[in-house]
Amino acid sequence: MSQHPRFEELVLPHLDAGYNMARWLTRNVNDAEDVVQDACVRALTYVGALHGSDGKAWFLTIVRHAFYDWCRRNRPAEIAPDDGTAIDLAIDPAAMDPQQAALRGAESRMLADAVAELPLIFREVLILRELEELSYKEIARIADVPIGTVMSRLARARGLLQRSPLLHAAR
Amino acid sequence: MNCNEAGALVAAHADDELGGFRRHSIEKHLRSCAGCATKHQGVLALRARLRAEVPYFRAPPALHTRVRAMLADTHAVAPARPRLEPNRWRWLTGGALAGCTATVLAWVVGTAVIDWRANEDVAVEAVATHVRATLNNHLIEVASSDQHTVKPWLSARLDYSPPVQDLADEGFVLAGGRLDTLEKRPVATLVYRYRQHTIDVFVRPEAAHAPSSLRTVRGFNVAYATGAGMDWLAVSDVSADVLSTFVQRLARAAASQ
Repeated sequence: MSQHPRFEELVLPHLDAGYNMARWLTRNVNDAEDVVQDACVRALTYVGALHGSDGKAWFLTIVRHAFYDWCRRNRPAEIAPDDGTAIDLAIDPAAMDPQQAALRGAESRMLADAVAELPLIFREVLILRELEELSYKEIARIADVPIGTVMSRLARARGLLQRSPLLHAAR
Repeated sequence: MNCNEAGALVAAHADDELGGFRRHSIEKHLRSCAGCATKHQGVLALRARLRAEVPYFRAPPALHTRVRAMLADTHAVAPARPRLEPNRWRWLTGGALAGCTATVLAWVVGTAVIDWRANEDVAVEAVATHVRATLNNHLIEVASSDQHTVKPWLSARLDYSPPVQDLADEGFVLAGGRLDTLEKRPVATLVYRYRQHTIDVFVRPEAAHAPSSLRTVRGFNVAYATGAGMDWLAVSDVSADVLSTFVQRLARAAASQ
């Protein structure tokens, strides 16, 4: 039997979630599409082994793996090994579409920029919690870290945003 | 509950991760402690702003189209594989019941099916690898049209030394090489350009089962040859006859070196 019906049932509904995550991780339209397409190829191969119906966390795990494989090849400097000292210097000015930026006020642009500038390990847990509204347990599974680490990274991400000069300039 | 205990739980409460007693205690503490209540409000306010101001990027129509196209491409080949397993078991069961002769017969057929499947699987895997490399724009790790650059680069990373030929005067220009895995083993991949096409050639020490000649997987042609103690497996969208001639030519040239 073909895996296509399972793929369409369990993975396709989460294409938006996968793209949103890839988009926030790569901060680039084309790279995000490449990462999601690669993730779909992998998901189609392994969807037969997916038990249960939690396609979202499963697919996001694959998207994240595809992203890190892509990142190792294209932006190895961005994968920082250490929580405490991770500094992300690679700021992509193209974090938003020009028209999207124009539609939103300068203030929104500031907050979106501040999120885009978060170091990778903090950005990914923040996106999964605040935009995808996933639980600590699901995030821990996707990011392959203990729940305690999810909590500390989330706290760090929020702290960085609340202290961000971009955010305060907007107020 | 004091502020020390509450500090660690404020964010978890804002994330709706606490239940029962701990939830009850933190709610009680927040009512009486302005400092912790401010922290709690801070998380909620940040969330409200994030959800209101930070864009949620939905998959663009072009991506939907690409994924649909990928599904359509794989449709032709996907149904063929999983069906094989039950067939083989039926053969084996039937053989056991029918007695010695039938068992031997089933064993022969079973072995043939396993061999055939091994070829099928390696062809499918090679095409998947080729497609992945193309989509990721990751075709070449060592870019050179000089076989004396590509060969040592590959040899240094593998436990064998793949023969590398340039057949530029026949139209097949060596573009470079990369490392892949095929059947869980590292394999040398040579990348050739032929007119507008890319040809991936996977070179590895000769496997136990003799490769069959030519297959088409997801619209890509897969051609095999053996020579110089190596298996040569070429994947490309060039026509089957060109690909087949090319891979045999490579294997022969390596053997005569």
